[in-house]
Amino acid sequence: MPVADDDKRKAARETIDILHEISTLLNTNLDRHTLSYCVSLIENGVNPEALANVITDLRAQNERFEAEQAKAAAQ
Amino acid sequence: MTSTREERVENALQQLLERLVPPQTSDEDEATADQRWDEANELARNHIDAEPEPGVVEDVNHAANKIKRRLLADGNLEARAKFEGLYSRLLSQPVLGQKWAILYFMLRVAEGREAAVNGHDYVEVDGPDGTDGEEAEGIEDEDEPENERAYDEAFARSGLPRISQSRGPDAPTPPPPLRDRAIPGRSKIQQPPEQAAEAQSNGVGNPPESALLRDLPFTLQGLSSTNLNFSDKQSLKLPAALPVPLISLLHTLAEPSLLYRSLSDYVETPDGGLVSQSLRSAIGLELRSYLRLVATLEGQIRRALSQLDENLPNGGLGKAGVTLKRCVIWTREATLGLRLMSLIVESSRGKKGGELISLIHSFSSSHGDPFVHTFAERLLEHITRPFYNMLRAWIYDGELEDPYFEFFVSESNDYEDSGATSVWEHKYRLQKDMIPTIVTEDFANKVFLIGKSLNFIRYGCADGAWVESYSKDASRELQYGDTALLATSIDEAYKTVMARLITLMEDKFALFSHLQALKKYLLLGQGDFISLLMESLASNLDRPANSQYRHTLTAQLEHAIRNSNAQFDSADVLRRLDARMLELSHGEIGWDVFTLEYRVDSPLDVIVTPWASKQYLKVFNFLWRVKRVEFALSTTWRRLQTGARGVLAAVGDKLGPDWKRARGGIAEMVHFVDQLQYYILFEVIEAGWEGLQKAIKKPDATLDTLISAHTSYLRSITRKGLLGGGAVNFTTQLHELLKLMLAYRDAVDGLYSYSVAEFTRRQDAAARIDTRTRAGRWGITEADEDGAPSPLFPGNTARGGRGGREARADNVDSPIPPLLPLSGSSENNTLDQLRQRLRSLETEFKAKVNVLLGDLAYQPDVDMRFLGVVMNFNEVYEPIRRRRAHGKGREGEGMV
Repeated sequence: MPVADDDKRKAARETIDILHEISTLLNTNLDRHTLSYCVSLIENGVNPEALANVITDLRAQNERFEAEQAKAAAQ
Repeated sequence: MTSTREERVENALQQLLERLVPPQTSDEDEATADQRWDEANELARNHIDAEPEPGVVEDVNHAANKIKRRLLADGNLEARAKFEGLYSRLLSQPVLGQKWAILYFMLRVAEGREAAVNGHDYVEVDGPDGTDGEEAEGIEDEDEPENERAYDEAFARSGLPRISQSRGPDAPTPPPPLRDRAIPGRSKIQQPPEQAAEAQSNGVGNPPESALLRDLPFTLQGLSSTNLNFSDKQSLKLPAALPVPLISLLHTLAEPSLLYRSLSDYVETPDGGLVSQSLRSAIGLELRSYLRLVATLEGQIRRALSQLDENLPNGGLGKAGVTLKRCVIWTREATLGLRLMSLIVESSRGKKGGELISLIHSFSSSHGDPFVHTFAERLLEHITRPFYNMLRAWIYDGELEDPYFEFFVSESNDYEDSGATSVWEHKYRLQKDMIPTIVTEDFANKVFLIGKSLNFIRYGCADGAWVESYSKDASRELQYGDTALLATSIDEAYKTVMARLITLMEDKFALFSHLQALKKYLLLGQGDFISLLMESLASNLDRPANSQYRHTLTAQLEHAIRNSNAQFDSADVLRRLDARMLELSHGEIGWDVFTLEYRVDSPLDVIVTPWASKQYLKVFNFLWRVKRVEFALSTTWRRLQTGARGVLAAVGDKLGPDWKRARGGIAEMVHFVDQLQYYILFEVIEAGWEGLQKAIKKPDATLDTLISAHTSYLRSITRKGLLGGGAVNFTTQLHELLKLMLAYRDAVDGLYSYSVAEFTRRQDAAARIDTRTRAGRWGITEADEDGAPSPLFPGNTARGGRGGREARADNVDSPIPPLLPLSGSSENNTLDQLRQRLRSLETEFKAKVNVLLGDLAYQPDVDMRFLGVVMNFNEVYEPIRRRRAHGKGREGEGMV
């Protein structure tokens, strides 16, 4: 762990800012928090491909779920 | 460490899931929400555990490029630019260790999202250049063999744009061979066993790609190897039993190899001129840099091959980052260069020197491809070196150092060694087709003139010392590309050399005084000298041509010089003046063959060329003839005038009208000759001289301008002086006129003798009458009256003095008695003949003048028309056009 903790945090925030912009550019629909979790996961060695799959799948699931909810609401 | 890592992963994952999984809604029971949570949790774990390592090679640039391409495919240039900014900032951030992974992740998410939006269909998200479908596949079936993907990645067309992008001049990334370092640990990647079959079916034949790769560096150097054998000079034998894609790759790789082979052969060949030798060396340099590339490539290949896992069927080649396809790409630029060089070599066959330079210059100046342009420029720098050396020797020393005839100035071997004219005009030639396009024609002309002048100064004017010192002072290195310096040094050299040459001509060789002398003596500018010469020579020249002797002529010339103002001319000038005779031909008199000559020697005969001397001679002969006619006419005129008071007045009752007429005729001719002379001397020669002076005095005069000024001076004299050949041949007309005038003068002289004879007869008769009267006899006897008055035989009649009988008796002892009665009629005949002759000559003269004037009136030159007007100012003559009428012009009534 580096000594200059404050600096590090600042740098991390900046990095996240940049990444967030890129992700907006790419239309990933990830918000800052989600993104920072993802980043920390990846930094900890999680396979980015897998993580991407997780996100995609979860989103698909949510959609399905919402669709069900909507159906239920309609009924 | 592991535990903390796992904890952290767990922690982050939970939080992530919390954000992603929708919370429990109000109309939903807790169980459903929990189930959903668990499902999500499980799914995430499955995914993450299933693939602990990424399926693609880590490469930040690759991921970034993919993103760029994606943005580009969306047509969003602005976004792309923005991304590049962000990306570079990201790279500079120290915090992240897995930048590429994050980027890759985002890309995946974005793609996945898109796929979701499009209803989970397979979506083509790749660039417009087609796709390998890699990303989409990765999402749709997770079991896709990694190897396949890696293979795809290496061979993918998606890999190409990245390398080509790095070619852009502003690309921050290093060149391809350096960038793709083999990353240690890459071969650690585990490969699922089922990939083997896949790889086999992928068509790796025999020999395997790794073997081919191993051989590739040799092939690229044009050496045969086990698998790739050069069967002959122009072909490479590929092993059979290779899959088609490999074959086509090898085809592409064979191109640089074969090109290299032929080029290195070409470099080895020794023949050719300096320029083509330097072309060879330049190509040799390029080949060396190509070999450097091959060496780098070899290093890469070696390293990659050493990291290969032999157990894997495809050798894990895709992971190693060096494949045949990569090699193709890495050698692509070099191939272009080789191709260009071989094109140059092909088209340079049979060309040399300037042509060769022009050829390569055309690549650099008119080719649109910046690569070709810079390449050709680089070559040019080497190739033009001998050319500039030659140029330097030429413009600073005036020497042609061109053993292979490559310069645009060439020495012509077949010029006849006849003095300076040839040195200037013919010794060197400007070869238009050898002028390289790097210099303009104007420039080449200047260069040519500079060198020629230097050479001329050195050899023609024997002023080598000046040339030496000049070359020491001014000489400097010339080089391609430094156009401004070149232009200034050329201009400088041009000015210096030309000024020097003109000074030499003026001072050392006294060009102007010689020109002046030519004008004075050959163009009859020195009046007193000419008239003296003519006077002293007149009696001599009346004799036939074969009785003329050169020593008498030169003696008379000396006499004329010594007694006229010519004696004050410089000795050098007078020394050159000489009198001689032209080629003798039968029946000519001295007048026709006499000529003056002005000898011009070595460097000056560049300007006063043999042609010019001939023109001078021609003009002199014509003027001399006119002068002679003038001289003859004025002699006769003088005699008439003096005679008119004595002899002629006495016979005025009988010959008065004849003399009136003859005087008119003579006056007419004198007028004609005077006008002609005036015109030629003042309107033509002086005007031309004026022009010549002006041209010579110009500040930027060169030897060439001097020569051309002098030539045009002579041309205008011969043309305006009615000597030039043209549509109308004035020369013959004038010669005929002059001949007529001489004949007329002869006739007038005859008339004069007749008059004198008549006068003598009358005097004799008067004296006889006087004596007789004094003796107391009849002054006039019968015999006198019917005996024809013969001035030629006065004695006969005088002795007679008696009747016809006595006269007849006297005739017995007379030596020519029968002639006596006839003599009177022959007298009258002579007079009639004289009259007739005078009249016909006069008529003929007028007719000829009319024709001449008619011709003159239609000349384009204003001076010549002016001559016509001057001759006919009172419109005595009626000029006729030759085409329409050829009849006699009517005699003018008025006298001039």
